[in-house]
Amino acid sequence: MKKLFVAMVLAGVILLQPISKAAPKEDASAMPKVGDLAPDFKMQYFDGHDLKEVSLGDYRGKKQVVLAFYVFAFTGG
Amino acid sequence: MKNFQQNLKKLEATDTQVLGVSMDSPFANHAFAESIGVSFPLLSDWGGDATRKYGVYVDKYKAARRVNFLIGKDGHILEEQLDSAAIDPSKIVDACERPKMRQ
Repeated sequence: MKKLFVAMVLAGVILLQPISKAAPKEDASAMPKVGDLAPDFKMQYFDGHDLKEVSLGDYRGKKQVVLAFYVFAFTGG
Repeated sequence: MKNFQQNLKKLEATDTQVLGVSMDSPFANHAFAESIGVSFPLLSDWGGDATRKYGVYVDKYKAARRVNFLIGKDGHILEEQLDSAAIDPSKIVDACERPKMRQ
């Protein structure tokens, strides 16, 4: 009986492993791929005088957009 | 961001708007833009909503990865550059200058 219990626990541990290993991939799979519709956004920037609001929709049908994410201001270029 | 500034004329000539994005405040980003001579907007994703929507948020750093997206006029993504490959934007500049890009 004890042996059966140990075997069941071991089987459970082995079966659960792929699930816990798959979890960290979540971030990467959430990134839209080439060909996907880019998620809309609304963000602000300061032009030296005022806060201006920008959304992706502002450019639809008018301009292409390069969206360049960087880590922090004042760290490299 | 400096590398995009160096290519800004080429990009503007192909109807392309460059927007930098980080999770800094708008005021920090403005000071950063002035200090490195960047003339395009550096948007503030305060709170990280857009960074998460684009799947580039890194929990470890509580900030974005370095990633460039080229988005077409129809709103679809045309090119992507990730991490160290995103420092030199040539791939995106070339894609913009390629004639008859998918609209």
